[in-house]
Amino acid sequence: MGRKKKKQLKPWCWYCNRDFDDEKILIQHQKAKHFKCHICHKKLYTGPGLAIHCMQVHKETIDAVPNAIPGRTDIELEIYGMEGIPEKDMDERRRLLEQKTQESQKKKQQDDSDEYDDDDSAASTSFQPQPVQPQQGYIPPMAQPGLPPVPGAPGMPPGIPPLMPGVPPLMPGMPPVMPGMPPGLHHQRKYTQSFCGENIMMPMGGMMPPGPGIPPLMPGMPPGMPPPVPRPGIPPMTQAQAVSAPGILNRPPAPTAAVPAPQPPVTKPLFPSAGQAQAAVQGPVGTDFKPLSSTPATTTEPPKPTFPAYTQSTASTTSTTNSTAAKPAASITSKPATLTTTSATSKLIHPDEDISLEERRAQLPKYQRNLPRPGQAPIGNPPVGPIGAMMPPQPGIPQQQGMRPPMPPHGQYGGHHQGMPGYLPGAMPPYGQGPPMVPPYQGGPPRPPMGMRPPVMSQGGRY
Amino acid sequence: MAPPSRAPSPARAKMSLFGTTSGFGTSGTSMFGSTTTDNHNPMKDIEVTSSPDDSIGCLSFSPPTLPGNFLIAGSWANDVRCWEVQDSGQTIPKAQQMHTGPVLDVCWSDDGSKVFTASCDKTAKMWDLNSNQAIQIAQHDAPVKTIHWIKAPNYSCVMTGSWDKTLKFWDTRSSNPMMVLQLPERCYCADMIYPMAVVATAERGLIVYQLENQPSEFRRIESPLKHQHRCVAIFKDKQNKPTGFALGSIEGRVAIHYINPPNPAKDNFTFKCHRSNGTNTSAPQDIYAVNGIAFHPVHGTLATVGSDGRFSFWDKDARTKLKTSEQLDQPISACCFNHNGNIFAYASSYDWSKGHEFYNPQKKNYIFLRNAAEELKPRNKK
Repeated sequence: MGRKKKKQLKPWCWYCNRDFDDEKILIQHQKAKHFKCHICHKKLYTGPGLAIHCMQVHKETIDAVPNAIPGRTDIELEIYGMEGIPEKDMDERRRLLEQKTQESQKKKQQDDSDEYDDDDSAASTSFQPQPVQPQQGYIPPMAQPGLPPVPGAPGMPPGIPPLMPGVPPLMPGMPPVMPGMPPGLHHQRKYTQSFCGENIMMPMGGMMPPGPGIPPLMPGMPPGMPPPVPRPGIPPMTQAQAVSAPGILNRPPAPTAAVPAPQPPVTKPLFPSAGQAQAAVQGPVGTDFKPLSSTPATTTEPPKPTFPAYTQSTASTTSTTNSTAAKPAASITSKPATLTTTSATSKLIHPDEDISLEERRAQLPKYQRNLPRPGQAPIGNPPVGPIGAMMPPQPGIPQQQGMRPPMPPHGQYGGHHQGMPGYLPGAMPPYGQGPPMVPPYQGGPPRPPMGMRPPVMSQGGRY
Repeated sequence: MAPPSRAPSPARAKMSLFGTTSGFGTSGTSMFGSTTTDNHNPMKDIEVTSSPDDSIGCLSFSPPTLPGNFLIAGSWANDVRCWEVQDSGQTIPKAQQMHTGPVLDVCWSDDGSKVFTASCDKTAKMWDLNSNQAIQIAQHDAPVKTIHWIKAPNYSCVMTGSWDKTLKFWDTRSSNPMMVLQLPERCYCADMIYPMAVVATAERGLIVYQLENQPSEFRRIESPLKHQHRCVAIFKDKQNKPTGFALGSIEGRVAIHYINPPNPAKDNFTFKCHRSNGTNTSAPQDIYAVNGIAFHPVHGTLATVGSDGRFSFWDKDARTKLKTSEQLDQPISACCFNHNGNIFAYASSYDWSKGHEFYNPQKKNYIFLRNAAEELKPRNKK
């Protein structure tokens, strides 16, 4: 990398040891992570600043810098970006970096703006947060490794036994578990319903108490997992087999062949327990998903997952194009990153991030009238040229806007519309005349009044 | 409202003189009549005739069950239009239906006889193409943002996602939903390939559903992206089963996420896209929203379209970019492939990414068709 500089090559955060490309980004990071008041979310500039703010405004004392690693939590040290870092810590850091660059040959990660990359450019952490997080974060980690515990995954049965031996190699950390699996797998879980489930753990063989041992296992899991459904579980499943077999398992009736392979040449079931979790509804279902014909299976009630809907107001926040402020009100949820960032190096071309572009646009009065939009909407246009295809006589109509003569009876659509090569409104009779031209739409030539057409039409006449 | 004073000339394709009346001028095209610098179609793709009068929010091609290719587009002019696209490239408008609010999503039934439309008017409709009648089949308490037709072995229904934070499933014959699932937040985008469905919501919510027997929530996923979710598309594995999805955000980034990967840390990744080249220069990089993602039905490669007015093709397995287009003078708001992947359709219209101030109602909205058979072939694996 370039010429040697006196201080660190890359700015880094003294509080949590993270690297940054730019000191500006570092400062933003510190403000957001370390100098942010936990009570009112106000971002201060330094540790002491934060302490003073909390004392004066909230009458609370804090004794450690939030989100700091142990040893670096000193609230009294005035550090701002790279300034204020004690010399000895700087040295330590330099030594650390040198060590690292010696170990791994310095592969500089090219951060091509349009190429695939593995992580955010702004702050690379020592391990990739993105892929890993899903495992540890929000959802109980167990859910991730895709083990969909499929107690008795339908279609599996034949393949299971041979698979077992193949499993251990895949799970580095789990050897003790493997043998225990089969018996334990009997846990039936409607894990799809109680989605936040401890149940998800099952896959591993169900033996696993949700616990410390699991996470490390995760990465190694996948391949063998789903299949090792315990045989005992199978018999009950057979009736479920028919249902889930078709799509998910991608297994022909004689699956053994593919199963033993350590890598999954055969598709792992996407939602392994799903089939039987729903208690094997095989026949046609009625309008509430209950089977129409009686089935012996225990039909589960259609789930009403109890996911508390966020009660955030969806009112639009005051808009500033490309605003930087992280509105405290908006960050009520646990997801931190609803910030529109503007920095010296990048600018998000998006108005306030709280609502989507469509929501923002739909708020305009012009889009809220429950009427076909006047002026712009050429709905009522006289069937113009392009529709020619519908007109029996002209198959080869040039596609550009020719104003075509055939005026529908709806004279109200007076053709003042500039060259909008009218789109033939669905209800236009001409459409109905042209069945021969419109092979796919055979049948239905008689023009029964359109379901909701009439109201629209009448308004169309307004313009 | 006075009629727009556009001259009804057929040469409307030109950037109109009205481009500057509201002081926009930033479109980059000269407004004094010259078309040489007109950037409305720099890729010289086929322009669909009779395009809608306001921004196009959604595009969908007919399924393979219909002979030929039919394109459906929903727009902010409250209409849904249908064209036949012939092999020659000729596009023939066929029919149109209206909602009483902007149309946000459209989809086809599996047999190609019906088109389902979702609108800001809080309803969804089923449009029978044979009779050219449309009836309401769904009701929400807020605009309906997504609509998908589910054809399962033992049931069929329409799935609607709304800003009212619910996901509802409808038997088109009944006015009561078959099922209502609560979402953590407003539904922003969704995709469905049986037996899997993915819904991305506001506040970076991300939920995967399994649809066997009956739809149920399968897993909530911590978002791999740090910004607002905007579009999502499911991809399939070599056995043609859905196995993961691509999620796009407003921050010029797409995440590729597998549901059950052998090695999540290595298999899942994100890549940046739709950004102006700002990293090398001193000028700040402009980061644009990803408005749509679509997977090629045959090659499994994907296309993304962005607010920057470009589309790009990517090979997610080789992790490389295949192509990026020239920049159009408007954002590209929607895209889709036809059933065999020969046609890539993309819509050029304003997406509100710069707010209300940059909206020009006079500006024409386009849908372009491009031959996609060659450009989306995957890179050879090393």
